[in-house]
Amino acid sequence: MVAIAGTFGFAYRAGRQVRRIRTENEPIRAWMSVPFIAHAHHLPASLLFQAIGVQPREPRDRRSIRRIAHDLNRSVPELIAQLQRAIDAAAQPPGGHPR
Amino acid sequence: MNDQLLAAVSQYGAPALFGIVAIAAIGVPLPITLLLIVAGSMISQGAMNPWWAIGAASAGSILGDQAGYAIGRWGGPAVVEKIGGLFGSRASLRAAQAKAKAWGGPGIYITRWLLSPLGPCINLASGMAGYPWHRFLFWDILGELTGAALYISLGRFFSDRVMALYSVLGDLTWAAVALLAAVILGFQLVARLRRHTAGC
Repeated sequence: MVAIAGTFGFAYRAGRQVRRIRTENEPIRAWMSVPFIAHAHHLPASLLFQAIGVQPREPRDRRSIRRIAHDLNRSVPELIAQLQRAIDAAAQPPGGHPR
Repeated sequence: MNDQLLAAVSQYGAPALFGIVAIAAIGVPLPITLLLIVAGSMISQGAMNPWWAIGAASAGSILGDQAGYAIGRWGGPAVVEKIGGLFGSRASLRAAQAKAKAWGGPGIYITRWLLSPLGPCINLASGMAGYPWHRFLFWDILGELTGAALYISLGRFFSDRVMALYSVLGDLTWAAVALLAAVILGFQLVARLRRHTAGC
């Protein structure tokens, strides 16, 4: 009975997660690189690099947020908050309503 | 540590993937499914070659699995006891040894990609049980290629939703484990009822 309940329980949770995939945005994590975050939010990487005031080291600067924060002597939550603001701003059309 | 591993794969690509999956296959608990999904997402971003990614992930896993098998088979009781301690008590290792004998090739195949947390334990147990090496290698290669291709492809298709996809796969894996347990217990129950009926 426990095994059957477990099957249904985990299948239900998976189904709920699938519904959330379609509605929620990917959270920003410290291990992610700026191009990775840009890809997840369908934005150009240059926009996010600009938002945190970083000049990319190479065409594909794949340093993690943690590494960039260390290099810039800034905190990870601060950088993530800055990136999130830039993403939210990019999602707002000129009229002010969210996309 | 998981963050650093994910950052390493994101920054260094296939060589980092190879090293991490090889270590995980020996028995160190690392988030390999998430790493493969991230690799798939990087392929979709044009930051990694798909063949290199699948090749590195499969080769690393197979190398680690073979090391686990070799330790079980030729490592001697002291080494086996020491490594086996990573997977729990001596009794649980014996149970895995019995399962490795009973499940055979399909058991090795399925613990490469669907019930992957059992993989390192089955490697060691297969070696200890004296399961033929050429058969172990065949099922191992087949299973690891399936796992790498499956999770990397999923990461490629859901490249903008890697964390959410990882959560879904985690729940689906547990659902599969629970379903397998239900089926096995169900069969045992039916067999016991039949024996009981025949005895009456």
